[in-house]
Amino acid sequence: MRGMAWRLFRRDWQSGEVKVLFFALMIAVMAMVAIGTITDRTHRAMGEQSSEFLGADYTLRTPRPIEQEWLEKGRSEGLQLTESTGFSTVLAKGDEFQLVSVTALGGKFPLKGEFEIADKPFTRGQSVQAQPEVGSVWVEPRVLAVLGAQKGDEVDFGSIQLTIAGVIVGGPGQASEMFNVAPKVYINQADVERANIIQPGSRVSYTLFIAGDIQPRENFIDWLKPQMNKTQRLTGGKEGTPALQASIERAETFLRLASLISVVLAGVAIAVAAGRFSRRHYDYAAIYRCLGMQIAQVHRLYISQLMIMGLIGSAIGVVLGLAIQQAIIVQFADFLPKPMVPMNWAPVIAGGLSGLVVLIGFALPAFFQIARVSPLRVLRKEMVPQPVSSWLIYLLAILTMALLMWWQSGSLKLVGILLGVALVAFIVIRLMAWLIFKVGIWIGKRGSTAVRYGLGQLKRYPAFTISQITAFGLAFIIMLSTVLIRSELLSEWQSQLPEDAPNHFLLNVQSAEVPTLESILAEQNVETAGIYPMVRGRVTGLNGKPIEEAVSEEAQNDGSLRRELNLTWAEDIPKANTVVKGEWWDNPEHQPDENGVYQLSIEQKLAERLGVGIGDVFEFSIGGLVVKSKITSFREVQWDSFEPNFFMILEPGALGENMATYITSFHLPLEKKSTLNTILREMPTVTIIELDVIMEQVQTILDQVTAAVEFIMLFVLLAGIAVLYAVLQASKEERVLSATLLKTLGAQTKFIRMTLLSELALLGLFSGILGVIGGEVLVSVLYQEALNIEPVLHPWFWLWVPLVAIGFICIAGWWGLKSLLKQPAHQVLRQL
Amino acid sequence: MLTTNNLTKTVKLPEQSLTILSEVSLTVNEHDSVAIVGASGSGKSTLLSLLAGLDTPSEGEVELAGHPIHKLSEDERAAVRAQYVGFVFQSFHLLPGLTALENVMLPIELKEDKNAHKKAKELLVKVGLAERLNHYPHQLSGGEQQRVAIARAFASEPKILFADEPTGNLDTANGDKIIDLIFELNQQLGTTLVLVTHDDRLAERCQRLVRLEAGKVVEDSVNQAQVVKGDTAQTDKVGTA
Repeated sequence: MRGMAWRLFRRDWQSGEVKVLFFALMIAVMAMVAIGTITDRTHRAMGEQSSEFLGADYTLRTPRPIEQEWLEKGRSEGLQLTESTGFSTVLAKGDEFQLVSVTALGGKFPLKGEFEIADKPFTRGQSVQAQPEVGSVWVEPRVLAVLGAQKGDEVDFGSIQLTIAGVIVGGPGQASEMFNVAPKVYINQADVERANIIQPGSRVSYTLFIAGDIQPRENFIDWLKPQMNKTQRLTGGKEGTPALQASIERAETFLRLASLISVVLAGVAIAVAAGRFSRRHYDYAAIYRCLGMQIAQVHRLYISQLMIMGLIGSAIGVVLGLAIQQAIIVQFADFLPKPMVPMNWAPVIAGGLSGLVVLIGFALPAFFQIARVSPLRVLRKEMVPQPVSSWLIYLLAILTMALLMWWQSGSLKLVGILLGVALVAFIVIRLMAWLIFKVGIWIGKRGSTAVRYGLGQLKRYPAFTISQITAFGLAFIIMLSTVLIRSELLSEWQSQLPEDAPNHFLLNVQSAEVPTLESILAEQNVETAGIYPMVRGRVTGLNGKPIEEAVSEEAQNDGSLRRELNLTWAEDIPKANTVVKGEWWDNPEHQPDENGVYQLSIEQKLAERLGVGIGDVFEFSIGGLVVKSKITSFREVQWDSFEPNFFMILEPGALGENMATYITSFHLPLEKKSTLNTILREMPTVTIIELDVIMEQVQTILDQVTAAVEFIMLFVLLAGIAVLYAVLQASKEERVLSATLLKTLGAQTKFIRMTLLSELALLGLFSGILGVIGGEVLVSVLYQEALNIEPVLHPWFWLWVPLVAIGFICIAGWWGLKSLLKQPAHQVLRQL
Repeated sequence: MLTTNNLTKTVKLPEQSLTILSEVSLTVNEHDSVAIVGASGSGKSTLLSLLAGLDTPSEGEVELAGHPIHKLSEDERAAVRAQYVGFVFQSFHLLPGLTALENVMLPIELKEDKNAHKKAKELLVKVGLAERLNHYPHQLSGGEQQRVAIARAFASEPKILFADEPTGNLDTANGDKIIDLIFELNQQLGTTLVLVTHDDRLAERCQRLVRLEAGKVVEDSVNQAQVVKGDTAQTDKVGTA
């Protein structure tokens, strides 16, 4: 029987019977495997990268030395542990001195990633994973500028002297220390005791860096957490790069959703194709039964065929999926961290299995049906098997989808929501299909002869027509949504990180230094995002009342009221800002009003949190002075623009020139890195924050995810085409039959062609309209609920989706029909 | 070989029930050849389906090769068919996925006979398709397809062969060839033959003729010429009850 199943499969393959089923299956598996492995690898690579920012998988920071017991436990788990002591002190060379933030390392560091230690500032250095030798210190470039020192010089450190052994140009902690004013230096733990620098009462923090394999690491963390108190802070690898996290998580959500969608679409194609396959095999099964095959034998014959198909299709899908992910990895090899995290087999196995699961869930009911045919069908064509309860079919398909979703998301709640939404969506889409069909009939009555004949064909089997519109429409909805969301995500990323996004920040520029800075940058053709004054001030009152009385309790706890704010003034509205309410300065002279009140523009979300509106007057305390300022506009701020951004911008003149230091950001390409040396030489007290390395990493990850997104879109489109093709195939017989009947009745070929094409075009039009409406609704829901993007309409798609739908369905439909139409009628009838 | 007793088939329609076949009692002996004739809708095909165990009667009994098939389940009837019965159909009903040879092998394989290939080949040679063994049905003409179907029907060495309008889809020349072939094999293999037909030429070749009208047997006669020819055959005159 196996041999026969194989023979039949081969034969069905040659005759094209199972191709749609097979391809749909392959697409599903390919999507699952490729996306599964890519997201898995990217996810883990990102974990690695953020660990590198941190220098370890976890850091534990405490105000007291680390418990001995914790260290022992960690070591017994086989983890790598490095202790460090952190404090602030002064480094001196001759008359020059600089407050520095010291990290004294008790062992190898970083545990994840590497230091880049150079001989000179802003040059490329050597990768190091160690601790400074006793008696030596690694310093940030600023230190050298302020002290006028270079590598090899000795500096005073407490009661001893340390030799500058290198300049830190890259390494862990570069991202998180953005606003750390004191530059960082690293020394050997042994020198802390030697220098006798920590006295009772010194502010010291102790950090334990933890790294190791996942299992022992998580064991240790689980063991550790309950023993920690409030003063101790554990930071996990993932929290290393919060800004990036959102983008990546969004992309991952999209990818998982899309791979699931391509699987479900493929499932629909499989179900449709399996339905057609089983209908076409009733006759054969009846013959088997007639020749004396037992029901169980027929079952076995067809289930074996299904399994053969499943195994071959899944295997090919797995191979192609792996090839695709490898292609992506190779294409982006230059950007990826080396060595790239190895591939996990879990998503591969999951992808392969999902093929079988989809096949069973979507095709089994139809296949099971085949053997239930009565042998009497050999005499009476109208005998069809008692249909398996359609509930059973849906139930199995729904269970399959639930299983796959659960697999992908790991959240039963999400599965419930998704299924509920899918169910409601399906009913709504079917209703819409019905409505569009009815409206189409109504409008079409006035149409040309061709339109009316086409409609006539569709009207003959309204239920079947509505099913076809639903299936086509569903495919278009999903394809359209995928295309839209993809372009939205991509353009969002592009705008988030344009090529020339600022990658360096300068802080603490004195007002007297601004002209120098401007001239240095102008000389190098470096454009800034604007040089903004920055004044630190505290909000003390609102509308004449103390702030504690003027705002709600919740607002009182807002960070902006509890600490000093960075205030600025500006003539023009900064680039990354948009006024959303009120107006930008309306008095060009910038004179205060009769009460001495200046104008103020506040960030919209902060205004909402504080419950303030246009016309409210803030009181700021700035270095003992009180400044009053009235809100005249709300701004929307693009916080991730890598430009200096402010909650509150005051009118020029409101803040004293001499109170401010200046801040700016600019894009500095690698070849102009030496400009930083010039700046530091001219303005030693300036703080430079280099973001270029991080941004390069961010860009890499985005590139990678972009590639994955492009691929998944391809899968969804392929799966969608499989659905369209399967439905066209499944409805082919009806079409050919009615065309042949017309032919037998003497209709001209031209007339038959017109009728068929008009029928196909109308199907395309109806489902295209359904696709556009459904797609727009789905996309705006997803934008709002899942992706946090403002929904917009896409008018262009209103035109071209129906056009593409008409084109595709006409061409593909006609292509499948034309050979049959050329044959003599009696031959066609025999083949059906 | 085949006995029926008061065989009745009714189908339930929404308002009434319709009697398609009413109290048919027949006995067909081994090696008999019986033609069931009648106008369209007279119940010929229904009778055939009941005799062959493809369907079950509403009332009455059918015994095929000693098996009370009216009492048997689907699968048990399938087993009886596999053991004793061959079929030839108007529309050939070959499996398009299998070659001519594979089509003929199928019933032999179902009997778990190891010599399926050899036997099937012999039969196809016998029906004149030696050159067509590995052709698929769609590559064969109507007459050739029916010859494959006949080879398949005889392949399991059935005790009884049922044929439903075997010449219905063929032109006269091909129809004649097919008729010759069926009777030739029938003679050679000593099969019992029950066929439903409109074709007078075919009916004439049978030893016995059963005529149905509105579900009842109105004539059951012996074709003397054929009885003499097939001298081993016996006839039993059985009237309607």
